[in-house]
Amino acid sequence: MRVLVIDPDKARAALVAEGLAGVKPLEVRSAPSFEEVESAVDGFDVIVIACDSPDRDTLESLREQTAHNPRPVVMFVDRSAPGLAEAAVEAGVAAYVVDGLAAKRVRPVLEVALTRFQLMQKLRGDLAKAQADLAARKTIDRAKGLLMKERGLDEEAAYQLLRKLAMDSGRPLGAVAADLIAYANVLKGGS
Amino acid sequence: MSLKLGFIALTDCAPLVVAKERGLFEAEGLDVILSREASWANIRDKVASGALDGAHMLAPMALTGAVIAPLSLNANGSSITLSRPLAEQVRALGGDEAPAGAPRTAHALKRLIDRRAAAGERPLTFAVVFPFSIHAYLLRYWLADAGIDPDRDVRLTVVPPPRMAARMLAGEVDGFCVGAPWGAVTEAAGAGEIWAQGSRLWRGAPDKVLGLPAAFAERDPGAVQALLRALIRAAVWADEPGNREPLAEMLSRPAYVDAPVAALRRALVEPESFVLQFHGEDAGYPRRAHALWLLSQMRRWGQIDETVEVRRVAEQVYRPDLYLQAAEAVGAPARGPQLDAEPLQPMFDGRAFDPARFDDYLASFPLRRRPAPVQ
Repeated sequence: MRVLVIDPDKARAALVAEGLAGVKPLEVRSAPSFEEVESAVDGFDVIVIACDSPDRDTLESLREQTAHNPRPVVMFVDRSAPGLAEAAVEAGVAAYVVDGLAAKRVRPVLEVALTRFQLMQKLRGDLAKAQADLAARKTIDRAKGLLMKERGLDEEAAYQLLRKLAMDSGRPLGAVAADLIAYANVLKGGS
Repeated sequence: MSLKLGFIALTDCAPLVVAKERGLFEAEGLDVILSREASWANIRDKVASGALDGAHMLAPMALTGAVIAPLSLNANGSSITLSRPLAEQVRALGGDEAPAGAPRTAHALKRLIDRRAAAGERPLTFAVVFPFSIHAYLLRYWLADAGIDPDRDVRLTVVPPPRMAARMLAGEVDGFCVGAPWGAVTEAAGAGEIWAQGSRLWRGAPDKVLGLPAAFAERDPGAVQALLRALIRAAVWADEPGNREPLAEMLSRPAYVDAPVAALRRALVEPESFVLQFHGEDAGYPRRAHALWLLSQMRRWGQIDETVEVRRVAEQVYRPDLYLQAAEAVGAPARGPQLDAEPLQPMFDGRAFDPARFDDYLASFPLRRRPAPVQ
């Protein structure tokens, strides 16, 4: 089975290709856009494509024009694996069968693609959260410093005051700290 | 109640954007997230799988899925654009200049295509945004009117709207039919020329609808009515001439169409193309005669066969009853079901579709794909 992965996100494409290498017998190629592989599409059995790629509509139009008409897996995989196609769409990946391959042969490919997309989503989410946590910690440190300077508190007392403000207002510590810094700037005549 | 609605970056997503920006969804107790999607295929699959609760949808796409269309989002707005070099060549062959108000036909283009074929040159490439779209059917109709077979005499391809200008500039696409503002964007980029306004080929042509999963409509008719009320109010607002300038600005934002205001103004504000309508001239009414016309073109070009019961499909998908209920609730002027018995406005070739004579209409086209003989 030959699988084509179209994904503008190179890191994710590599992750999917690496995951598919475990499904044998398989030959995998990836490209950032459909345009780059348009002439070679007939050589593949399955196309895995990221939903954030605008190339999906071009791929769909091939169904009309050529004998090799890619059929979206979402249209027929359901009977053999309920919920799989829906989960794939939710995770942002779609698959097409180019040449009448049986649904049960495509399923492992879509399953791998799905888990790799979910993994990438989680990794990106974790990274974004780590960055947000780091930014919040810096803000809290600045707000603590401000309270220590303006109110003559020690570090522990400044932290406890911030925590009390957060609990009283029912808001996250980082948000309260950011407000405090903003107010201090206004009072100092800054913007 | 919270809902996630999908849209594609086109001027005709306006009712969704207006309802969101002006708090009309909120006023109905709806917490709506608008999700810009990268392709029509995504819209179809996400609505089918429940990842979206509804979407801005191509009317013919709605007719091929398990959705209902209780609202038409717009009429008009599409246009046929030719690349600069192609426009010049066609002009040199007579250009089909038409009297004021009438659109150009494709007869000069036909002469050019015949010459190119005789000289052994490559066929011209025309693009649409999706095979099942008013753009595909208008372009096919316009070409076929001049005797150009859209499946044999040219190469038809699909290009996402925001990429049309670049593909034309690169010489990969010679002509296309697409919704606003992408024709105007291409013209402003110097890549092409708007050759025929869709509204002049056929005033009031059906275009996008609100597509909702049939199961959602059955489960929660109250939410459907709330959604329709918000969108009808938005459409009425968007049609007010005094609101067209702020509308162009609103749509141009990066989160929505993400195109220059000047390009958006073309189909919204400028007098000679003041044609995109959201409510007026029955633009919001999901007219079953429109559904049947679209199905006639699917049949004409072999996208569906004779086993598809067109009247049943039109009745299941298009839901004027739901529209009229909501229009009445918000006091928006709307004509009733008599619209479905009337023949449609004639197209540029003088043919008017009468829904009662579906087969005769289809048979009147010399250029069409005939069904394969039964084995």
